[in-house]
Amino acid sequence: MSFDLNFIGILIGAIMASSVPLILAASGELITERSGVLNLGVEGMMIIGAISGFGLMVVTDNLFLAVIGSMLSGLIISIIFGLLTQSLLTNHVATGLALTIFGIGMSAMIGKNFVGIPGKEFPLLFVNLKENIPFLGPILFGHSIILYFAFLLPFLTNYFLKKTKIGLIIRAVGDSPTSASNQGINVILVRYSCILYGGAMCGLAGAYLSLIYTPQWIENMTGGRGWIALALVVFATWSPIKVLVGALIFGGITILQLHMQAVGLRIPVQLLSALPYIMTIIVLVVISRDSRKIKLNTPTSLGQIFYKEK
Amino acid sequence: MYLYYLILNFTTIKPILMNTKLKVSEISKIYPGCIANDKVSLEFKSGKIYALLGENGAGKSTLVKILSGVVKPDEGEVFLNNESIKLNSPLDAKKNNIGMVFQHFNLFETLSVFENLSIDSDKKNEDLRLSVYNILKKYNFKIDLDIPVLNLSAGQKQKVEIIRCLIRNPKVLIMDEPTSVLTEQETEDLFISLKQFSDEGILIIYITHKLKEVLSLCDEVAVMRKGKIVSVSKTKEEKIETLANKMVGENLSAIKKKNNNFKYSEEILKISNLNFRSEDPYETNLINLNFSLKKGECLGIAGISGNGQSELFQILSGEIITDYTSIKFRDKEISKLNPRERREYLMAFSPEDRISQAAVPELKIYENVALNNFKSSNFFEKGLVNEKKIKEHSKKILSNFSVNTDNVEMKSQFLSGGNLQKLIIGRELITSPELLVCFNPTWGLDVGAINYIHETLININEQGKSSILISTDNDELLRLSDRICVIYKGKLSKIMDVNEVTPEKLGILMGGGSID
Repeated sequence: MSFDLNFIGILIGAIMASSVPLILAASGELITERSGVLNLGVEGMMIIGAISGFGLMVVTDNLFLAVIGSMLSGLIISIIFGLLTQSLLTNHVATGLALTIFGIGMSAMIGKNFVGIPGKEFPLLFVNLKENIPFLGPILFGHSIILYFAFLLPFLTNYFLKKTKIGLIIRAVGDSPTSASNQGINVILVRYSCILYGGAMCGLAGAYLSLIYTPQWIENMTGGRGWIALALVVFATWSPIKVLVGALIFGGITILQLHMQAVGLRIPVQLLSALPYIMTIIVLVVISRDSRKIKLNTPTSLGQIFYKEK
Repeated sequence: MYLYYLILNFTTIKPILMNTKLKVSEISKIYPGCIANDKVSLEFKSGKIYALLGENGAGKSTLVKILSGVVKPDEGEVFLNNESIKLNSPLDAKKNNIGMVFQHFNLFETLSVFENLSIDSDKKNEDLRLSVYNILKKYNFKIDLDIPVLNLSAGQKQKVEIIRCLIRNPKVLIMDEPTSVLTEQETEDLFISLKQFSDEGILIIYITHKLKEVLSLCDEVAVMRKGKIVSVSKTKEEKIETLANKMVGENLSAIKKKNNNFKYSEEILKISNLNFRSEDPYETNLINLNFSLKKGECLGIAGISGNGQSELFQILSGEIITDYTSIKFRDKEISKLNPRERREYLMAFSPEDRISQAAVPELKIYENVALNNFKSSNFFEKGLVNEKKIKEHSKKILSNFSVNTDNVEMKSQFLSGGNLQKLIIGRELITSPELLVCFNPTWGLDVGAINYIHETLININEQGKSSILISTDNDELLRLSDRICVIYKGKLSKIMDVNEVTPEKLGILMGGGSID
């Protein structure tokens, strides 16, 4: 029995690890969207983060630099998005899509030289405790610092949005940029900051994939996780805590259905593979069906171009 | 004396008589194709209420946007107490204690009232709450600070805007068309508050195109036309007619009076058992509405916006289909028909929102005309659009209904509100419907356009066509309706003959009171 419990613990630990990139990217995008900016470039920023993180690790042999560098590169590529949508007033959707396509192509080009190079072992915390405590050990311990950060992030984001002045200003800008501007808030600055923050978080999510989760570079290694993160934000109705729930469900069912496939249940593989997507949407729709709350959480100006009267 | 200081410490607005002088000098602002302000010079002193009067597009809003730092003037200066001030951003206006309540509220709908107030305040939350409570108490405002703004009525939203200004101890308070969304009672309350502010030494500039308000509230009036100040005078010396003529720049023809003598007795529309329950908490449920309409009659439905008018309109137009409701139109049951089918039975509809409901602003005029005339089979042949026919038809509408253009290729968004409304009403009426249902047909229009629309609506009644006028403008209802009722929280009052109705009675019913 204790073996079984420990196995479940390990399984939960694995689920947590697989949901980290989703939590990071979705939390970042959530802040961006709360300010009224719809950045569909999440996938592109993630994969740029992944290749820069891995590349820097190979070149400098320093994991700390690699992580910081991946965040910076996510941030830099989001500046392009910011410039286009906020300063040159291009359409959010088209620009975001272009950013994703750009990111995938760019990362493939840079990544050519890094294919097949083995990754470096990322330091994990509290490994002793993980092995000595059954069940809870593999759940709570033996993870990278980024995982702990990721699981803290939704709560921090929630607190930041609800309780701090800057959080209030971001929500205000997302609700009505014109009103905010008339109140003397620098809408463009707020939106730029949110875009850059989102970019950095997506970069970090990418680095987690290429440095920790599967420590190597594979072309297109984000595999659509950016799109899932985007969908999570919407289906979680812009609530950080629900993003966390959604990411765990998605990660959980992904891992479980792999086990089910391995066991050889007589369910079509395609259906099992589709399961995480279907279940995540169903659960999130069910837990967020309060139309009053949806209305209060939805950034009214999402995707609208804002320009200041002169 | 001690008590007085105690009160002073509790109120944030100290009753010190301020001596404020505001002067705008030679302000000009030119937009491509239009001079919004042409060397505007005005002087204001505290203790008085100033009206800035003008039609839509006269340049009032540009001037107040300049004063509130939203728009920068091309030329000219603003002086506060003889010192030139730079108003490069809304923050500069705030720093100079100029408060501004915009016509379209600058509120964040999804944030709570308190969050809305705290967003631009430097005070600590507890201090801010205290000063807000003091303002609420002092001016007898009743607002729950912790509910989202979208749950407030328009009048309450405006109070939130005013409180936001008051927190900053304003020297100047500018109100941009504040009564366009208010009921009679709310307007009276607002005027009382404004007079109180003025007595406390706040300089008040009141922007409006409603002449009655100028006369009843303000001490001095400046009239703007086409970007220029055409007259500055004391309101005592003015009358409605003199102001109207200055504002429009020509002598307005006397408005046609409605003739209430009925020629017909035939019942054209009968609605029974109309109930509507909405899943959306922001819609109003309608409770057991029953009414009927005679041929050639105009039934006015008054009420504060948000009491079920838009739901009622949508049920009448067929956008919402409800169970069990019976709508008999010319002896046919039409309650299950969609808007297009209802049009085929000669009903016509002019919705509240010209831009998003009645017309597609990005489409050209003739395309908008084609949108609701599917039954004119010669517009479409074998699935193809017959542009020539539609354009001819559109030209006819433009000339018959005095739309200020003959270019049917123009995009509808470039029409002014008045011209767009004429186009919409024209598009509906050119098919000679038996019933026109319109919802706030003159909202936000200037005097000339309002008069035109009103005459059109009176004319169709005289031709024996019926109309239902859902409106939040009581003057309009009293002028056009034969019978009036009030909708309040989804319930309809008894239907009264227009001769027994007074604005006061309407006000009471609109606020949920009873007049029996």
